[in-house]
Amino acid sequence: MRRALASGAERLRVVAEDVLGAETRIDQVCVGPGGETLLVLHADAGRDLELVARGLAQRAWVEARLADWLQLAPDLGLRPEAGVGVLLLCPVFSVEARAAAASAGGRMRLATCHFEHEGSELRAWIAPVENDAPRPLPASRSAEPVAAFRTGLSDADLGVTDEEKSALESAAPREFRLPVRSD
Amino acid sequence: MARGLGDVLHYFLPEAEQGAARAPDAGPPARVDTAALPIVALPVAERDVVRAALAWNLTVEIARLGASASLLAPRNGDGGLLWPEPGRGPVGAELVLSPALDLDALYRDAADVAVQRAAEPGEGGVVLACVPPHWLRSRGENASLLRWALLFATPDARDLLETYALAKFLLRRRPDAVVGVTIHGVRRIAEAERAFQRLAGVATRHLGRAPRSYGLLVDDLHVYRAIVARRPIGLEHPQAPAAKALRDVARLVMADAQLQHRV
Repeated sequence: MRRALASGAERLRVVAEDVLGAETRIDQVCVGPGGETLLVLHADAGRDLELVARGLAQRAWVEARLADWLQLAPDLGLRPEAGVGVLLLCPVFSVEARAAAASAGGRMRLATCHFEHEGSELRAWIAPVENDAPRPLPASRSAEPVAAFRTGLSDADLGVTDEEKSALESAAPREFRLPVRSD
Repeated sequence: MARGLGDVLHYFLPEAEQGAARAPDAGPPARVDTAALPIVALPVAERDVVRAALAWNLTVEIARLGASASLLAPRNGDGGLLWPEPGRGPVGAELVLSPALDLDALYRDAADVAVQRAAEPGEGGVVLACVPPHWLRSRGENASLLRWALLFATPDARDLLETYALAKFLLRRRPDAVVGVTIHGVRRIAEAERAFQRLAGVATRHLGRAPRSYGLLVDDLHVYRAIVARRPIGLEHPQAPAAKALRDVARLVMADAQLQHRV
């Protein structure tokens, strides 16, 4: 698998293997051409649903540590803003597992994987699973939080007195005009 | 059908989240990420003396924080009426005039300054690049300069509308852009906050993204006196509310610049 990841795809670099993540190990950590981080997790047949859960947990674990990894190894080429994706490899995925992965959004991809001998070499064959399970509806835009206003100043810094402040906050007096009748 | 990993790699790489998708030309050249100071684009129209003055005053305030600060502007603009001679000015703030006639050329010049200044010892810094707003609308040009933009807006409804339109345009051009907004021309913080929240609320509802707040600048007689005198307000009246507000904006910009530089 390591050879497949490293040599089968020129643009994908395997930067770490068998990394201890959130309690279990991440089989491979790869970096894509745009600095994307791709976590590769393998599982045997029948453990696909557990694999999805592991994928979610490991992605959250890595996302929280990417900045630290960059400090330790700035030459890795990781760009946290490019995101962390997960590739789950298993011989077969159940409907339940595919539905669970679909609900995680586009950053979790599934692929079936099997190995074949080519002469003396064992080669990994990977086929993406077209996940047609329904995805959750996107959250309403109006529910998104509005960005916070930022300042380190107070009104005192601006030289506004309490008296001026209350005067500005009170409604401005309005001018009322009676309609003038022409007749 | 089973395939080798190389054939299906694109399928597995992470996609940008919705609303934060990377434009085809997203991401500045590698040198900007690794060996250059961040560049902040400041849309400043011709004859917009207030924004031109704020741009230079902000540059000086960033320099006063001990960071490298360069203001780059097209040579044929009219900011020269307000700014000092090109070169290093007060507290090391630098003015660079560029012969650029379009966004691409201006970006190249800004990147050159960003690389040169990053090579100097120091605490990091930024390059502020004044961009004539009509240049933004030229199609087919590289939008690298628009990765991080800072817009100055007043609470006036018309001005907020123009700022919103500019933010919308920038985010369409570069969905990954950081669009910052500083509210200027206010007397109180609440006034600035209300204006920002109005803008952010509309942007969130209609664009799915809100601009990033970069504080406020106050409407102060000292600002206009400093413009007329061509003297940075932070040096002329360092204790004036306008100078304090400029320093606050400079701190916010530098805090984000350091984050970007670290990444």
